[in-house]
Amino acid sequence: MASETLIKAYSILYSCILAGFSILILVMLIRAVIGPRITDRILSINMIGTMVISCIAICSGLLDESYLLDVALIYALVSFVSVLIFTRIYVPLRPDRSTFGPGAFADIQPKHEREEVHEGQDSPEEGSAG
Amino acid sequence: MEWLRFILTAILLTAAFASFLSAVVGVYRFNYVMNRMHAAGIGDTMGLFFVLLALGISAGSILDVMKLALVAFFMWFTSPVSTHFMSQIEYYTNRDLYTYIRRDRSGPAAEPDAADPAETAGGDRK
Repeated sequence: MASETLIKAYSILYSCILAGFSILILVMLIRAVIGPRITDRILSINMIGTMVISCIAICSGLLDESYLLDVALIYALVSFVSVLIFTRIYVPLRPDRSTFGPGAFADIQPKHEREEVHEGQDSPEEGSAG
Repeated sequence: MEWLRFILTAILLTAAFASFLSAVVGVYRFNYVMNRMHAAGIGDTMGLFFVLLALGISAGSILDVMKLALVAFFMWFTSPVSTHFMSQIEYYTNRDLYTYIRRDRSGPAAEPDAADPAETAGGDRK
C-alpha cells in the first residue's frame, strides 16, 4: 500500500529536519555562551525561540497532533515577552539621553563631535546643582 | 497527488533549513551585534514562513492551516519589535559604539586623523 510508504517518508523527512534544527539550536546556544555582549546573548535567545517554534510545528506534523500548534502560538507569545523583559532590564522605557547612550561617554568620541555632546552633558549637572 | 504534496513539503522544509543555516552562519561570521541582527532576521521571517508553509501544505484540515497562519502573522509583527528593542539596548549601553560606526569608508571614526596636527594634539591632551 502506498499510504504506509507515504507515512514512513513523512516520518523520515520530519525526523531529519528536526535533527538539523537541534544541531542549529546547539550552535546558537554556544553563541549565547560566548557572546561578547548582552545583546549577542539576547539575540541568540530570540533565534533559539524562533527555532523552537519551528520544531514544535514540525512535531505537530510528525505526531499528527494539531494541539501542538496552540503550544507553538503560546511559545511565540512567551518568547516575545521574554525578549521584551530582558531588554527592559538594562534600559528603562523612556531612556534619558544624558545618562544613557554614547552621549554619556564623551571621552571616547572623536573631537569634531565633542562640543555638542558637552552641551548635552552640562544640562543634567545644572539641573542637579539648581 | 499525495506524493506531490510530500515533494513540495520536502522542498519547503529544506529551504527553511537552509534559511536558518544561513542565519546561523551569518551570526557567526559577522563581527558586531548590529550586523548579526540583520542575519538573524532571515531566520525569523523567511525560515519560519517556509516551515509553516510546508506544514500548511501537508496539513489535514483547514483549522491547522489557520493556526499556522496565526503563528506566522504573529511572528512577523513581533520580530521587528524585538530587533528594534535589541538595537535600542545596544545603542544605549555600548561604551565603544563610536569605534564601530564609520562615518566614511576610510577607517574607524574613533581614531584621530594623523594628517591633521590639531586633531592629534587634541587626542594627546585627552
